[in-house]
Amino acid sequence: MATAEAKVPAHPTLADANRDITRPIAMPEKRFYLVLGVAAAGLALMFGAWFYQIGAGIGVAGITHPVFWGVYITTFVFWVGIAHSGTLISAILYLFRSGWRTTINRTAEAMTIFAVMTAGLFPLIHLGRVWYFYYLMPYPSQRQIWPDFRSPLVMDVFAVSTYLTISALFWYTGLIPDFAILRDRAKGWMYKIYGAFSLGWQGTVSEWRHYRRIYLYMAGIATPLVLSVHSVVSWDFALSIVPGWHSTIFAPYFVAGAIFSGVALVITIMIPLRWAFGLEAYITENHFENMAKLVLLTSLIVGFSYGTEFFLAYYSADPIEIESFRWRALGAYALPFWVMVFCNVVVPQALWFKKVRTSLPALFALTIFVNIGMWYERFVIIVTSLAHEYEPGGWGLYTPSWVEMSILVGSFCWFFFWFLLFSRSLPVISIAEVKEHLAHEHAHAHGDDDE
Amino acid sequence: MRTHTGMTMSSGVLGQYDTLPGTLDAIARLRDAGHRDIEVFSPIPSPEIEEAMDIHSSPVRVWALTGAITGCTLGVLLTAGTSLAYPLVTQGKPLVSLPPFVVFMFELTVLLTGIFGLVALLVHTKRPVINLDPAYRTSFSVDRWGIFVPANGEGTAAAEALVRETSAVDVEVQG
Repeated sequence: MATAEAKVPAHPTLADANRDITRPIAMPEKRFYLVLGVAAAGLALMFGAWFYQIGAGIGVAGITHPVFWGVYITTFVFWVGIAHSGTLISAILYLFRSGWRTTINRTAEAMTIFAVMTAGLFPLIHLGRVWYFYYLMPYPSQRQIWPDFRSPLVMDVFAVSTYLTISALFWYTGLIPDFAILRDRAKGWMYKIYGAFSLGWQGTVSEWRHYRRIYLYMAGIATPLVLSVHSVVSWDFALSIVPGWHSTIFAPYFVAGAIFSGVALVITIMIPLRWAFGLEAYITENHFENMAKLVLLTSLIVGFSYGTEFFLAYYSADPIEIESFRWRALGAYALPFWVMVFCNVVVPQALWFKKVRTSLPALFALTIFVNIGMWYERFVIIVTSLAHEYEPGGWGLYTPSWVEMSILVGSFCWFFFWFLLFSRSLPVISIAEVKEHLAHEHAHAHGDDDE
Repeated sequence: MRTHTGMTMSSGVLGQYDTLPGTLDAIARLRDAGHRDIEVFSPIPSPEIEEAMDIHSSPVRVWALTGAITGCTLGVLLTAGTSLAYPLVTQGKPLVSLPPFVVFMFELTVLLTGIFGLVALLVHTKRPVINLDPAYRTSFSVDRWGIFVPANGEGTAAAEALVRETSAVDVEVQG
């Protein structure tokens, strides 16, 4: 890996962009393998705990009556939320022609794919008997029994798998010209591998012509998709009659929360990545400031949604709904609730100050708070509602077991394991898009000179 | 390998340029001189080059639309078809309940639009290929633009002279 000491020109040329962005791929370093080793150890912990659960039965997890959805579903929703930043930054900002997305979209897209891969594990883990997962798939069986297409859980299977597929296609399409750059710099078997993934790309006018159109269409279809996926996830809850869940604001509330946590994690990851790979000329303070503004905006939406939930409970005059929310704030799970409010509503208010938005250490710390808060948000929504439903006789508390906590910790290692492999084998910034941006900047600069 | 108009790229003149404006100027000059079958290599996506070469629409949009219609139809068939094939009333809803089924239609529409789009890219760019074109240079993926003018026999010298008149930083005769 390159380090912060690597010399990066202040005004890079197209050739500089090729060299600087591909540099980390060609520079192995011990500390990379050390971090990868830590992630692999976490992976071993996760799979060890999961296999133990498969062998011993789902009873080793803390979920039991009345809280049958616990850490596994909380973490599933958390990772699906994280996955939203990639497509938001790539597709929506692409359609809005936001030039600042070019240096962060590749990393954000990679995050999306690895986060969906992580999220996808949790319904399987939660099943207990994981080998029955195919019951959710629409396959023609002898008895002609099909999934219930009126169920939001089946919608979830379709939404998440479509999101993974489209995100991967979108990511790969964007990578094709960069694979050609890597191919042209590589030798031996790496030349063959990058050559195969580049599909023989040569940058002819005909290739670019079709490529630009299809990239635009993919951005166009990914935009409603990203909004639909977390809406569908929210309907897993909102279409039930559990107090605290049965609400019409859930879809926009979940989408805003997803963007909030996703962009926060992009910032958390990009800050050390920028330093480690010496990419200061490409990922500037301006990029971080723009992302920080997005975090502040979505924090306000999320904070407003928290307030709206309480107001709706009060305004409904339904004693069960009112009690559910009173207990959420003041009951047995008051601590997670107030951690959530502090991390997601209070802490991000610091982003009103430009000094905070442009201070990378402050942003790094703040976004970690946001992600802790967003995990707690899902925990509070899921667990407090189930623990305190209609009948006092059916109330109960839930404590996660060591198996659930090991799998939760391991899920972060699983995510970072894939991310680390990505950062060493592919450009973390879209070279073709950065070069397009640089070429236009240079053309404008020369135009201004001429004038 | 063929140019975008279908001409083979076995012999001709290759000019390399280090700026986009220089490339655009060369394209205009070559086209004015009657060379309409040139191939252009570019390190970046450039709508200006497409405009200079009078290329506008791309047929991939038809593929995307076909994928969208196929996906939506598949969504209807999968949800309504299977509900009618095994008629079991659940959740007190009609067998064909459009509101929940719309989610599946939408997801499959998006899914097949994306897949058809990528296939269209491969079909229309005639990819994947194993061997790169003889006119391709690795500098085209770094910071240079290339213009290949197909020519043979006596036409080669005239094409070379024309390319040299432009701002080409390097000129090669091929074949």
